[in-house]
Amino acid sequence: MKNKYSEPNSDGFFGSYGGKFVPETLMEALDELEKCYEDIKSDSEFQKKIDKDLADFVGRPSPLYFAERLTEHFKGPNIWLKREDLNHTGAHKINNTIGQILLAKMMGKTRIIAETGAGQHGVATATVAARLGLECHIYMGAEDVQRQSLNVYRIKLLGAHVHPVESGTATLKDALNEAIRDWVTNVDNTYYIIGSVTGPHPYPMIVRDFNAIVGRELIHQSQASFQSLPDAIIACVGGGSNAIGIFHPFIDEDVRLIGVEAAGQGIDTGKHAAPLNDGEPGILHGAKSYLMQDSDGQIMATSSISAGLDYPGVGPEHSFLKDSGRAEYIAVDDESVMKAFHQLSELEGIIPALETAHAFAPLDLISSEFNEDQNIVINVSGRGDKDIASVAKLEGIDLE
Amino acid sequence: MNRIEKQLVENKNNNIKSLVAYLVAGDPNMDDTLSLMHGFVDAGVDVIEVGVPFSDPIAEGPIIQSAHDRSLANKTSFEGIIDLISNFRKKNTNTPIVLMGYLNSFLKNQKAFSRFDDIGIDGVLIVDAPGEYSLKDLGISNANVVSISLVSPTTTKERTKKICNASSGFIYYVTLKGVTGSSNVDLEEIKSNVIDLQKNTDLPVMAGFGIKNKEQAESISKVADGVVIGSYLVESIFQAKKTTDYKKIYNYLSEIKSVINK
Repeated sequence: MKNKYSEPNSDGFFGSYGGKFVPETLMEALDELEKCYEDIKSDSEFQKKIDKDLADFVGRPSPLYFAERLTEHFKGPNIWLKREDLNHTGAHKINNTIGQILLAKMMGKTRIIAETGAGQHGVATATVAARLGLECHIYMGAEDVQRQSLNVYRIKLLGAHVHPVESGTATLKDALNEAIRDWVTNVDNTYYIIGSVTGPHPYPMIVRDFNAIVGRELIHQSQASFQSLPDAIIACVGGGSNAIGIFHPFIDEDVRLIGVEAAGQGIDTGKHAAPLNDGEPGILHGAKSYLMQDSDGQIMATSSISAGLDYPGVGPEHSFLKDSGRAEYIAVDDESVMKAFHQLSELEGIIPALETAHAFAPLDLISSEFNEDQNIVINVSGRGDKDIASVAKLEGIDLE
Repeated sequence: MNRIEKQLVENKNNNIKSLVAYLVAGDPNMDDTLSLMHGFVDAGVDVIEVGVPFSDPIAEGPIIQSAHDRSLANKTSFEGIIDLISNFRKKNTNTPIVLMGYLNSFLKNQKAFSRFDDIGIDGVLIVDAPGEYSLKDLGISNANVVSISLVSPTTTKERTKKICNASSGFIYYVTLKGVTGSSNVDLEEIKSNVIDLQKNTDLPVMAGFGIKNKEQAESISKVADGVVIGSYLVESIFQAKKTTDYKKIYNYLSEIKSVINK
């Protein structure tokens, strides 16, 4: 019998990826977090609390929906959608913040910080912080503050403070840098809710585990809907939290796992955000993983139509799954993403987030690899409300 | 014996407190960095920490971050820093040099790393490398280069022991919870932590992060084996309008050196 998948190891490595590469001041905080997380993992009271919040506040389980017209259109496998876009706050991000805020509370922390790219994680963090009455600070690249102004306002409405980050490329990676600096400075009373499966151990594991509810639900839902496991699961990958959340419970099963990165203006142009397709292993933000870096080890600027995928790194577990061959990672460019965005809106009445639209863009190519009685599931990681203004602008439409 | 070990042991035996000075290579340009390094030595600096600029320096406060950005905008490369040290060594073969930077820069330049001792680089301080790892654990070994680690106010006793065991050269005590150049130093807390730290190691202990003025330097050097000045120098270099303004920086360093040895 095959060994059950059990990454990461006790030092926080997925194979050779991951680890804890942070300034010394944070090492103790990471150890404390790890111990606390191990305690609650086996605490049935805590788990009940999370389950109740996920049901009553988030609205889980999210439906598994048969996309009939999309299926007809591609004339390939049955296409099913896991509707994370229907969660409270409009994306999968809340699955993680619900869990981490309870951890923070248990650890006695009174101040919450987070980074955000598209703003979805910022909204999801501000939401749970408001609910528990905790002070909340969100770091966001100045460029993202511009292109995701709706989410910035939502975060403010929820009572949190937004700090635009001007340093470096003024996008998600710089927001992460600034959040880490805040954490180093305020480590005694502050809990850092990382929004993806990135950063130092134990974050990639914690964020994965909280998001894995998506994959666990899918096991039951696919049995109920088509009496077997899916033949393939497709999800977009920036840091990779929605992808790992839906992949993880299937790693030991015979299911194709396909992650879709942002090829931006095209892999050949170098202007993209696809480290698994066109990067090399290195160390950034506390972990070893595939990165977009130059020959001197400097982190490169990225390009993607979607703020949430505009990140030069990727969660270490994805690097491991890539090297081991267990998951496949492809990349789609901005143009094909826009096409998929419109297609899903028009064929199914679902306007996806631009990040999410990446998971639909490869259907053109991939659907021919399946036959008509097979079933594939796409993770609809978030809804597109936040992107309406920027899509209109891209297409030259004046909404004012 | 490695220059760092030699110099610091010599200072300790002679009861001299050491002054460690930091600057960022290539800020404002390589020529100035070279002349600043020589100026530092003439002013009484015992060890020079040369900052290797990185695109994402997570442990740095705004002053050193900006210096990294300026240096990278000047196209500073790792190879350029190697040339800088080689040039420095043409005139100075005694003063220990430490490269301070982030792990990804060193991993990407492993080939150069194996030549560090030949070039005249005596040690490295890698801010985001776990202190309990040896250089060999990180895959960048050079037997003649010392590995300096940080110990912070949050480091547990257990970790302190591990870090001291894996370190060589000196231990860098981080004087505050925060990024470089912060202003919340608590002198009494620092002193008691440094004394605790010295119980775990025979290596000299240098204290830094946020030390700016003579009073702080004097007070901390009562217990520590020396002090590290970073952000204050980087800001002074940035503020200097012309190279003759560097004289003020050298005067400042001379004063620090003398107050810590009062």
